[in-house]
Amino acid sequence: MKRTVEEINQKIRDGDVVVMTAEEVASYVQSEGVERAAKEVDVVTTGTFGAMCSSGAFLNFGHSEPPIRMQKVTLNDVPAYTGIAAVDAYIGATELKLDDHKEYGGAHVIEELVSGKAVRLKASSDGTDCYPRKEIDTFVSLHSMNQAYLFNPRNAYQNYAAGTNSSERTLYTYMGKLLQNYGNITYSSAGQLSPLLKDPSLRTIGIGTRIFLGGGTGYVAWEGTQFRTNVETKFGAPVGGARSLATVGDLRGMSPEFVRALNLPGYGVSLGMGVGVPIPVLDEDVMRAAALSDEQLFAPLIDYSVQSRNRRPIKHLSYAELRSGRVELFGKEVRTSSLSSYLKARQIAETLAERIENGEFLLTEPVAQLPSDRSVGTLEVRSREEAV
Amino acid sequence: MAKKKYLLGFSPDIVNEAIVYRLVKDYDLKINILRAEVRELGGRLLMEVEGKAANIKEAAGYLNEAKVDVQELATYVEKNEERCTHCGMCISICPVEALIMERPSWKVRYDSEKCIACGMCIDACPPGAIKFRI
Ligand code: SF4
Ligand code: SF4
Repeated sequence: MKRTVEEINQKIRDGDVVVMTAEEVASYVQSEGVERAAKEVDVVTTGTFGAMCSSGAFLNFGHSEPPIRMQKVTLNDVPAYTGIAAVDAYIGATELKLDDHKEYGGAHVIEELVSGKAVRLKASSDGTDCYPRKEIDTFVSLHSMNQAYLFNPRNAYQNYAAGTNSSERTLYTYMGKLLQNYGNITYSSAGQLSPLLKDPSLRTIGIGTRIFLGGGTGYVAWEGTQFRTNVETKFGAPVGGARSLATVGDLRGMSPEFVRALNLPGYGVSLGMGVGVPIPVLDEDVMRAAALSDEQLFAPLIDYSVQSRNRRPIKHLSYAELRSGRVELFGKEVRTSSLSSYLKARQIAETLAERIENGEFLLTEPVAQLPSDRSVGTLEVRSREEAV
Repeated sequence: MAKKKYLLGFSPDIVNEAIVYRLVKDYDLKINILRAEVRELGGRLLMEVEGKAANIKEAAGYLNEAKVDVQELATYVEKNEERCTHCGMCISICPVEALIMERPSWKVRYDSEKCIACGMCIDACPPGAIKFRI
């Protein structure tokens, strides 16, 4: 059995494409087998909704009269990066409001913009001959700005370590609140619904792939930061953080349901992003991977009280175990929590399936593949000579 | 037997009254103190009261007379359904399993009956969906 993206798109246009979510197909393959599922199903949709710190938006405010070349910009008192053209800026999700106690940040500004609200823009400049203005204090919204698009350097991480805490005190981490003495376990991947776990070697996902992003449509722009391929696998899927995607998409058309400011106390602000990727079932191998179930997908369990990048996993846990709510650890029953929303992951996969079935969303062939051989380096304190 | 949850507020002059003792002794109530705070401007006591419905009613009358501000609570914390993403981060934090992941809907339900108002879930919730009602 073989099919091409073009054949699938023709079926979408003709209104007879068959789409299943990654969750549905996992049980369908268990009962009907890979061969039959691959023959019947054209597209498998995936979804994930979780904290994606490496997110932010490029904005163009338009020129004022007289014009200003912005050198310092804040949006609702959250600094934005403006070391680019005069009225361009980048607001990063984790940037914190000036003088705030870590509760409001770039992610909140982005969520407010997506909700249609106006945010306060303050900018200052030294003034130049062509940009004489030195200050501006005004309001902007998605309606008033020329461009406002997310450019997220790292989204949809292919798997992620689960966390626990062996120490004597509660830890506040980017994996959430970890109770002392292995009091709980937190995890963050959507497992069997998670986009990159369902096409583990990225056969069908590459630069230019059209995706669901924050409720609207987006594209894969590049490999995500910290993209790596040299990770141990089980059933063909990596058992730890591996590949990731840099994504891009217009903030207009997105929804606060899938672009949500998060606050991880003691850690900081992050952006809850919803990402969904359609997987064209080109052959049985694609189907086999897309149908991997929570029983076949694993995450390493890491002790976050060890403050080193060289933490060794305590053990590997399947997503079926993690999602069951309780895991046995050192003879004790430990409760689990997910940081990402399985409900929203499912809604994303279902929405994407509907859009495809309704002919509103066509699949794409990657313009270029993402790297097949990448490792991740470390940062050392080194001399100029050692660095090259 | 009835079971109710009350939030009591005291002004500084009555902070020293042996209110809980009176409730137990005079009205035969079983008291479970869930939270207590004493500040310069007075104190607050969050408690669960168990006993005969008539006795609870009489006790409330006594408290009113003693100038204690009595507020009956239906819930202790409130989960904002719009803000909640149903991630489930709060699930393993709650000591009494008052936050429940429902299957197969994967929605998180808050059970006010079970909640003991410890507040542990509040700073664990990433989108800030849970707040104290009081
Ligand atoms: S942690 Fe907050 S957002 Fe997540 S399920 Fe609990 S109440 Fe909802
Ligand atoms: S306040 Fe405490 S008991 Fe109530 S839901 Fe939150 S964690 Fe559970």
